[in-house]
Amino acid sequence: MKVKVCVGSNCTLLGAMSILDQIDDLKIIISEDSDNYNDEELEVEAIRCLGFCKNTDEKVAPIVVIDGETMYNATSQTVMEKIVNKIRK
Amino acid sequence: MKESYVDLVRIRRQVFAKVAKLAYDGADLSELEKASFEILPGEVATYRDSIFRERAIVDERLRLTLGLNARKPTEHHRVTDGINDVDVDKIQFIEPLINVITFACEACPTKQFYVTDNCRKCLAHPCTNVCPTNAVSIGRKRAIIDLDKCIKCGRCKDTCPYSAIVQYDRPCAAACGVNAIESDYLGRAEINMDRCVSCGNCIIQCPYGAISDKSQIYQLIKALKSNDHMYAIVAPSFLGQFGPLASPVQIFEGIKQLGFEDAIEVSLGADITTLREANEFLERVPNEIPYMGTSCCNSWTIMVEKLFPDQFEYISDSSSPMVETAKYIKKNDPDAKIAFIGPCISKKLEALREDVKDYVHFVITFEELMGMFVAKGIELSEIEVSEKIQDASSLGRGYAIAGGVAEAVKQVALSMDPSKEINVEGASTLHECVKLMRVAKSGKRNGYLLEGMACSGGCIAGPGTLASLNRVRKAVIDFKNQADIKSPLENKIIDENLS
Repeated sequence: MKVKVCVGSNCTLLGAMSILDQIDDLKIIISEDSDNYNDEELEVEAIRCLGFCKNTDEKVAPIVVIDGETMYNATSQTVMEKIVNKIRK
Repeated sequence: MKESYVDLVRIRRQVFAKVAKLAYDGADLSELEKASFEILPGEVATYRDSIFRERAIVDERLRLTLGLNARKPTEHHRVTDGINDVDVDKIQFIEPLINVITFACEACPTKQFYVTDNCRKCLAHPCTNVCPTNAVSIGRKRAIIDLDKCIKCGRCKDTCPYSAIVQYDRPCAAACGVNAIESDYLGRAEINMDRCVSCGNCIIQCPYGAISDKSQIYQLIKALKSNDHMYAIVAPSFLGQFGPLASPVQIFEGIKQLGFEDAIEVSLGADITTLREANEFLERVPNEIPYMGTSCCNSWTIMVEKLFPDQFEYISDSSSPMVETAKYIKKNDPDAKIAFIGPCISKKLEALREDVKDYVHFVITFEELMGMFVAKGIELSEIEVSEKIQDASSLGRGYAIAGGVAEAVKQVALSMDPSKEINVEGASTLHECVKLMRVAKSGKRNGYLLEGMACSGGCIAGPGTLASLNRVRKAVIDFKNQADIKSPLENKIIDENLS
């Protein structure tokens, strides 16, 4: 699974690094309980600004993209839940 | 702000970005009336009981960020009242720095021990047996603590085999190392300014975001727009703060794009402070003074001044790295106006001191700086630059991590006088600093170099940071290892300037 976390200025201001930290922590949770998870590798990448918030007046940051699916107003709990749902047996 | 307080972090930082935007746009400050609607749109409350209260609290945050006092709920004021006083291009400091937004405070109960549902009224009931004041008895459903008798020693909590007794404390008061948090007539937090050292730990720990400091970003941006001699001096803990893709040199270049003439590492000033403190230690300890305390953490020095006034003369006379860096710039450009950018709230007070105010003209935090980057639309990771930053030694860059100051001073003092025996002890929370000073006062640390830091882990954990401690520690160590020179004694920039 590929998780891309936008770390552009606005996303960083609104907590992108906290999301990255929580995903790192989730990796530990998964490794401690590996029997209950698929072997699929969790690949996390911090990426440059995708430009979503610059094209709209709506609040959309932080942005996280999981396997091509974009999550707007991402929070660590919604991101972690999505990851866990995908790889938990 | 504590990273896991995500909602609070977002509101707080959106306010910084909003105020920075108003300043860069040169907008009329009557626009401020609308700002809380832009930050919290709609009519449904997300965080508190009503959207009106949420917006009222954001209004107070906007005022504090502009440098104004929060309004009194008992008096009629517009959000813009007093705005002309702060619509200027220099610091317009209105005391106090640390403010409780009274109607955001939920008046949490003060420190108490509670018996929870976990209690099984067990036969052994050690909770009653260990209580020194006979305050615990077994009630019909569970153990009962008589709060009039309880002296809060915690023995009952420690002995319970079911973890049925919990200690409860107000997070602000628990975070305060100098017992400065008291209560007003409604039980809300009130800060005793005679004890407060402005470390900012209550600000980051309050789960309601009810405590806030004042900012100078609005005035700083006005100055950036009108003055060509603006310099940024950047504290050693800046590494990793602005996202994992922003390199050190991109951060410095981004700062220049905000309108600064140049950006310099405060680690350069740390090198100068190291040389001064090493000399001072060799000259004064133990003949003139029994021990020496470092001087770079402002909250630590204020704490010693307020709580241990008879020991204050044993704190180093050397200026902090912030001031030394500013003096270095002033020497090359006498018209320089200098902004310190760091993790620290207490530096906002240090900059107002008589002996500092002519050198350091603004102090902002990394969080506030991030708000400026967003307002100006700067993407750090997309800036193209190639050169490297080499203002300071590896030891100077290590100041940001607890233990780094004493380590630098010790190493340099030892290379000046290898025969000297130097013992070092450090404390890196305000609670620990107070304990260390008690021991030092009793004469048990004579001959020592004492390093005091008010934040747990050192400056890398300051209240104005954006990134987590581990993230920043790793980045600071990487940057330390990239320094061309190891010791301040090799720093060529200093030779010409240290008079």
